[in-house]
Amino acid sequence: MDGRDLILETRALRRRFVTRKPLFGPPVEVRAVDGIDLRVRRGETFAIVGESGCGKSTLARMLVRLIDPSEGAIRFENRDITRLEGAELREMRRHLQFIFQDPFASLNPRMTVGALLEEPLRAHGIGTPEERRARVAELLGRVGLLPQHASRYPHEFSGGQRQRIGIARALAVSPKVLIGDEPVSALDVSIQAQVVNLLQDLKEEFALTLIIIAHDLAVIRHMADRVGVMYLGQLVEVAPADQLFTRPRHPYTEALLSAIPVPRVGAKRAARALEGDPPNPIDPPSGCRFHPRCPYATELCRTTVPELAIGADGASVACHRAQELTLEGLAAEGGGRSPDAEKRFALYRARRSEREGANPSSPSQLTEI
Amino acid sequence: MTEGAMTEAGPLLEISDLSIRFGGAPSNLVDGLSLRLSAGETLCIVGESGCGKSLTALALMGLLPMPPARRMSGRAVFEGRDLFELSLDQLKDIRGDRMAMIFQEPMTSLNPAIKVGEQIAESVRRHRGVSRAEARAHALEMLCRVRIPAPEKRLDEYPHQMSGGMRQRAMIAMALANDPALLIADEPTTALDVTVQAQVLDLMRALQQESGAALIMITHDLGVVAEMADTVAVMYAGRIVETGPVARIFEDPQHPYTIGLMSSMPDLGPRGGRLVTIPGVVPPADAMPEGCRFASRCPFAAPACAEAPPLRDLAEGHSVACWLAPLEAVEPGAAEEVA
Ligand SMILES: Nc1ncnc2c1ncn2[C@@H]1O[C@H](COP(=O)(O)OP(=O)(O)OP(=O)(O)O)[C@@H](O)[C@H]1O
Ligand SMILES: Nc1ncnc2c1ncn2[C@@H]1O[C@H](COP(=O)(O)OP(=O)(O)O)[C@@H](O)[C@H]1O
Ligand code: SF4
Ligand code: SF4
Ligand SMILES: [Mg+2]
Ligand SMILES: [Mg+2]
Repeated sequence: MDGRDLILETRALRRRFVTRKPLFGPPVEVRAVDGIDLRVRRGETFAIVGESGCGKSTLARMLVRLIDPSEGAIRFENRDITRLEGAELREMRRHLQFIFQDPFASLNPRMTVGALLEEPLRAHGIGTPEERRARVAELLGRVGLLPQHASRYPHEFSGGQRQRIGIARALAVSPKVLIGDEPVSALDVSIQAQVVNLLQDLKEEFALTLIIIAHDLAVIRHMADRVGVMYLGQLVEVAPADQLFTRPRHPYTEALLSAIPVPRVGAKRAARALEGDPPNPIDPPSGCRFHPRCPYATELCRTTVPELAIGADGASVACHRAQELTLEGLAAEGGGRSPDAEKRFALYRARRSEREGANPSSPSQLTEI
Repeated sequence: MTEGAMTEAGPLLEISDLSIRFGGAPSNLVDGLSLRLSAGETLCIVGESGCGKSLTALALMGLLPMPPARRMSGRAVFEGRDLFELSLDQLKDIRGDRMAMIFQEPMTSLNPAIKVGEQIAESVRRHRGVSRAEARAHALEMLCRVRIPAPEKRLDEYPHQMSGGMRQRAMIAMALANDPALLIADEPTTALDVTVQAQVLDLMRALQQESGAALIMITHDLGVVAEMADTVAVMYAGRIVETGPVARIFEDPQHPYTIGLMSSMPDLGPRGGRLVTIPGVVPPADAMPEGCRFASRCPFAAPACAEAPPLRDLAEGHSVACWLAPLEAVEPGAAEEVA
């Protein structure tokens, strides 16, 4: 079907959680992920967006088998990995590594950074002790830390540095795919920029495939080749980033874009803020799940589920009215920073590279703790 | 006639030379901060975390734990009275009445054990001598004003029964219940989805228009700044490094920190190359550089920066604390060269 080289795919992937077991009657279930067909191409950066609770983390965790699907299949390099166990699962995990949102919670506070980075190598039986030590030093350098940081503990590092440690740990076993669940969301803007650059450098250098979950649409626009938009456990639109941001085809995508505050004075948001909260995934609306909030909903939308249809361009959308609607995206030129400010930014950039030499994710600049 | 009325022509709030430090720390975490705010004005304070934004807000509200915090200097004259000279009782009379604060986490100000309607009504009764029934009616009106759906029902709900966006609105309803002249909002939408954020921002703007309240909004989102601010104050390591009308700050950013902060944010345009970054992190209190506090991260730093630059006026209302400002005057043609 899709002739391109797919590295990771899901078919009708579902995950239910039991939220409550009443005394009588069946348990109350939430369908966190409810039938997702995802196709991630080798070497791309694929981003997933959607409101809180729509199932992004659940999906991401299933992709690396941190949690098990209720139904459906996951295929990695054309191999069904849905039910792998034991040694086979461990071997497969080597290729699919996960970066957590909260770098602190994900690092064992009682282990030194060196031990944290060596652990995955040891678990996969990679290298001799000396080789592993050398690899740890190399990894630290690669993410902008120093060799002597190996003997320190996670709490001695700033949030941005801890995220670098998390990234180094994920990289240790030379994975093919890195999956980041909000990897930069907890970081300050300036630190976020450092880590975004680092991820992009690493992706080039190691020919990685990146799957990034983020709720910051500007970050996604900056990083992603393609974007999947999720709503209540389902994908409603998948498209190349430029297309999705400038010519959205699903009304929910349009609503997300119109909600972004644009960092330009006088740029008014389209006044059409989405009404209401995201509905409850325990009892999703009938027909199109977006219909109670959709300004374009018709009778058909209330009764009939729209399928995610793949268009000729490979982009897909799940909306009955996708053909007839012309939706509004962001201006093609984007945020439109003022030309004077751009000059100032250029001056800053020039000074910065003149002073610092190499690229900002290189070790030389990150010596301070 | 209130004292506020006598100072109508003057600012609503004037902070001068506010310095705060913690315990035996060797440097001030808020250092010589001065700000003024007119009635109805919206001031956005931006800066990385740890720059002292929340400390400043909490100090104004009298909510800083002292000790360990110590106010080393400063006045904050609000409606004619220095907030720092007030007794706790006087402060409590002003808080929730003439000035109110909302937080990133609504449960900071909502009591989990009391129904939302009762909390709002209680605040109304405390500051206005109205009956229970009147206070409840007012609480209902507030829930309507913040557009909480089915307000009659929500009145008798506990905070945990509401979604995050709704709790945020309930907190706003409580803060605005007594028509304060000043609302301080510390990252009020940071934890919210972009769609809910848009609703809350629209709401805050509408309510502000109705009531004429002044707003101090702390945020790190420049999009939010562009949308909400009349005036911007950029804060770095406890000091204001640049301040001015919002259009000037976006079109003519002058302080290297402002420039770094703005250019490190991905804009919403077609994919560019690498993001520009500010190297390193905000220095901790025990490693604060002497002189210009940004010097350890500044690509323009020069020997002169070992002395602290004063906040100087570059144009009407636009001031910058950098020896090099205005940048082009120092590096003539430099911008054209690299642009
Ligand atoms: N272990 C669990 N038990 C019960 N319900 C769960 C569990 N994990 C997730 N859920 C529910 O599944 C839905 C999807 O959750 P998920 O964490 O995947 O959302 P998300 O898109 O990552 O949200 P966020 O942006 O807030 O991180 C939510 O309704 C959530 O409450
Ligand atoms: N209770 C406290 N004890 C000691 N230091 C504190 C305390 N609260 C805040 N600080 C310090 O004060 C500085 C400014 O904090 P804050 O005002 O919260 O920053 P911001 O709101 O700009 O992120 C930080 O360095 C922070 O670590
Ligand atoms: S199917 Fe109908 S309700 Fe759903 S997004 Fe399309 S127009 Fe809106
Ligand atoms: S005074 Fe010096 S160190 Fe401080 S911002 Fe200006 S150039 Fe940079
Ligand atoms: Mg999540
Ligand atoms: Mg704060």
